[in-house]
Amino acid sequence: MDSKPIPLPAPGTRLDWRLDPPYSARHLAWLLLVLAIILVTGHRVEMDRMAMMSAQAVGNLIGISDDSQVVRGLSRVGQSMWPPVIGDQEEVARLPELDRNKLPLFSHIEVQQRTEQRLNPQTLQLEQETETIEVLVKPVGYLWTVAVKMVETLEIALWGTVISVLLSIPLAYYAARNYSPNRYTYTFTRGVISLLRSAPELIVALFLVLAYGFGPIAGVLALGLHAAGFLGKFYAEDIENADKKPQEALEAIGAGKLKTLWYGVMPQVAPQYIAYTLYILDRNVRMATVIGLVGAGGIGQELKGRFDMFQYGHVATILLAIFLAVFLLDQFSARLRARLM
Amino acid sequence: MIRFESISKTWPDGTRALSNISLDVPKGQFCVILGPSGAGKSTLLRAVNGLTQPTQGSVAIDGTVLTPATERALRKRVAMIHQHFNLTNRMSVAGNVLAGLLPVVSTVRALLGWFKPEHRAKACRLLGHVGLSPEHLQRRAGDLSGGQQQRVGVARAFMNDPEVVLADEPVASLDPKISRDILALIRDAAKERNATVLCSLHQVDLAREFADRLVGMRDGRVVFDGIPAEFTDARVEALYHGVRWEDAPKADKQPGMPALEVAIA
Repeated sequence: MDSKPIPLPAPGTRLDWRLDPPYSARHLAWLLLVLAIILVTGHRVEMDRMAMMSAQAVGNLIGISDDSQVVRGLSRVGQSMWPPVIGDQEEVARLPELDRNKLPLFSHIEVQQRTEQRLNPQTLQLEQETETIEVLVKPVGYLWTVAVKMVETLEIALWGTVISVLLSIPLAYYAARNYSPNRYTYTFTRGVISLLRSAPELIVALFLVLAYGFGPIAGVLALGLHAAGFLGKFYAEDIENADKKPQEALEAIGAGKLKTLWYGVMPQVAPQYIAYTLYILDRNVRMATVIGLVGAGGIGQELKGRFDMFQYGHVATILLAIFLAVFLLDQFSARLRARLM
Repeated sequence: MIRFESISKTWPDGTRALSNISLDVPKGQFCVILGPSGAGKSTLLRAVNGLTQPTQGSVAIDGTVLTPATERALRKRVAMIHQHFNLTNRMSVAGNVLAGLLPVVSTVRALLGWFKPEHRAKACRLLGHVGLSPEHLQRRAGDLSGGQQQRVGVARAFMNDPEVVLADEPVASLDPKISRDILALIRDAAKERNATVLCSLHQVDLAREFADRLVGMRDGRVVFDGIPAEFTDARVEALYHGVRWEDAPKADKQPGMPALEVAIA
């Protein structure tokens, strides 16, 4: 193809261009305003005191400061939580069902001397009384209890995720501006999504416990509803932002909305969808441990029970189990993502 | 086959893309539209399947006027080949080609990806025709080279046995050798099915080689309409440099029109 060189600018073309520096006085004013907000709000939420106490704690640890409230508090907690409780024992007398020839795995029966102080009603004196009892010692008994509770927690999280995905699919379709049938369905669905997202799991679980009673149902539904709002919003926004070109190609041949979505959008957004869903699974595992606090099943119920009984050794075991579960899930989801993308 | 009845298109910002164009493209014709960027070539093409609604006038295919009521039915008879291939990049080549059948496949089958054996066989046959091999079937469309992607685009376009093929600068981003191959594929496949092709191009030599008829457009008007032999070098010069530089459109104001055209022009 023949072409002509770009000609000289026509007479009268302005050539006095100017490129302003990127910063001006307005930026300085904004900077000062942000700084002022940081200082005022920081003081109101005691960030200054936090910094001082933390500095004191560090000073105490490296030996410059004599006393630190933070270090004292933390070491008291640490001492009461260490060591984590692994084993469990029960009085044989309280286990009428126990078959001495078929003890549970890893367990054995021990004879223990128990000394108790009792008030003698006649003499009104405290008396030492020693009795010999048989106990069933389960060296990893508590670990097993926690593991069972943890599995229940994971099941709650899994089902919460399943329900949230199922709910979010129609939400995403109607909340995507370019697929929603009309403005009203779009606004309505966006409203539903905001409502679901604005209700914290813990509060929802509280109400659902009233409706469905104690146990996992309330937990699963609370997690599912909240995450459905999250997934619906993110799925919908990915649909809106997906590459328009393949959609136009399918629209041009009259493929119809649903089929265009499935063939023109879904393959493009699938990796993001997997990432969101795995994040929700991860979040649900962490939240499932917490919603047990209001009686919605899982390890949280156990945690709250032990915490209320000041059994911090048990609490430590539970916290370690939660950490381990979240860590393993992270590894698992990283591998899964690498494989699927 | 395709009849444009004095259609005009003015964009909301006041840019006039098409001014009162009347054109009749008979069945089986390979009609190439030439013209500088911003001349309205894409707009004219997109008016055929309703991707752009003309502000005035009407388009009819085989006597059926394009209206919102007839749009879906007409679109099923019109295929489109795009400058940027418009494939679903993360989907397999096979999936992209089968997507050409979406207008006639039931929703359940489409969602499950469970196409009839004859449809799958047809996809394989077409992919073979456009010069791809069986190992391309399961490759992701986005992993192919530009030329291969456009081959997939051509195969997709002919999947539903179209009566009209709209090719919107199908070879603008491909090298000359591949451009010629792709245009030959489009022409041969269309002639075989007696399909009408409306193709916009930037390469004058390719246009002369492949077109049954050439339409030159400039500033939304048809300034040339004839057989390739009549399209002399002087007329090329007139079409692309006919007015003073200052009067020529400075920028591409149509949405969706790629910047690449500006570079070529």
